[in-house]
Amino acid sequence: MSEDRFEELLGPYVLGQLTAEDKHELEHHLEECPRCRDELERVRQTHSLLRELAVSEPPAELKSRTMAQARGETTTRFEVRWKVWVPAAAALLVATILGIGLLQTIIGDSSASVPLNATALAPGASGELRGAKVGENFQVELEVRGLPKLQKGEYYEMWYAKEGGGRISCGAFRTQPEGRTTVHLTAPVNAVSYPKIEVTREPDNGNPGASGKEVLVGDLRNL
Amino acid sequence: MRLHKVDRSTPGTRETFRPIVKGMGDEELVGQVAQGDERALSELYDRYARPVYATGVRLLRDSHLAEDLVQDAFTNVWRGAASFDPKRASFATWLFRLTRNRAVDLNRRRRVRPLSAGEEPLRNVSGGPEPESSVDLWDVAEALSLISAEHREVLNLAYFEGLSQREISQRTGVPLGTVKSRTTAALKRVRQAMEVNAVGEPRRE
Repeated sequence: MSEDRFEELLGPYVLGQLTAEDKHELEHHLEECPRCRDELERVRQTHSLLRELAVSEPPAELKSRTMAQARGETTTRFEVRWKVWVPAAAALLVATILGIGLLQTIIGDSSASVPLNATALAPGASGELRGAKVGENFQVELEVRGLPKLQKGEYYEMWYAKEGGGRISCGAFRTQPEGRTTVHLTAPVNAVSYPKIEVTREPDNGNPGASGKEVLVGDLRNL
Repeated sequence: MRLHKVDRSTPGTRETFRPIVKGMGDEELVGQVAQGDERALSELYDRYARPVYATGVRLLRDSHLAEDLVQDAFTNVWRGAASFDPKRASFATWLFRLTRNRAVDLNRRRRVRPLSAGEEPLRNVSGGPEPESSVDLWDVAEALSLISAEHREVLNLAYFEGLSQREISQRTGVPLGTVKSRTTAALKRVRQAMEVNAVGEPRRE
């Protein structure tokens, strides 16, 4: 085997993919060839980084969630291209689902529900919160109707709030022209100590805090 | 339609065709994303979700928050692609900075509530390199995006899909001997790309 050929085998060698015969020949060559030993060291370092990168793989379903979230924003990003806004779509329905994969369970149990009340900022809005405590999580489905149309860059955000201050963001969503959006969010474990539900209207100014513009309010203690 | 064409960069072989998006550079992909092309976003996700996630896990010490970080970061790529200026920084550098900023935001939100059992506070997000640095992973991910599509493919299959050299040969139609030499060549190219890039990219500032 030529030196070049030995060098070509370094990749499969660090991957443990050589036949016993090739491996034996290569290792014998490495004992005698400092240049190939140096090259092996460099290949090994890159191999280790790629291995580390490989084990940093996020859960597979995260990609479809991420793509769905981006897709959900498409209509707002290209809002100017929309020729027709469908106001009559009316039934602005936003289903905010906390707890992925348990939608069926939640829908099946509509007995526990909390009405969401409109504030002066959104007199035409109404909503309902349905949900249950499942293990350490709160699984909640939120339905709202008649929320005001958002300006460019604005979005709605749902919060768990504590009496006397303190909020946990449950995530942000936008209503869409056809009036239907499904947003997947994660519920915090300790939501019970934050019994109030607020939906606020938020400007896109980079400030993660609540704007204080509440459009719907409710109380989980009524659940 | 453009992205549905195939890359025939190696005509005359039995190799399977790969979607042209696989052969695009990062900056070209961002341009496609700015036009609303989901396939381009999907490809950027495949190239960079790992370092974003690793950064989240290391900084936030919470895998759920790290997942939120991945979602946030790529939604921001989708939203902000039109404002990306390749003259100012590479895509990887842009995404790295965006990722760190989003990690700070996520931590700020977390601070409004007590930490859950087993949850640790964010580590060193005020600026500067983090102690257990994830920058090597960013460098290697970017280097992978800089090498040729055929080199990237063989490494993706070997490391991320866990295929043996023989399985790669069967999957791609490339002779086994070529797969072996191409794997070695690809590893060398990655290293070279990292060395060149380390000089030119002050990402760690």
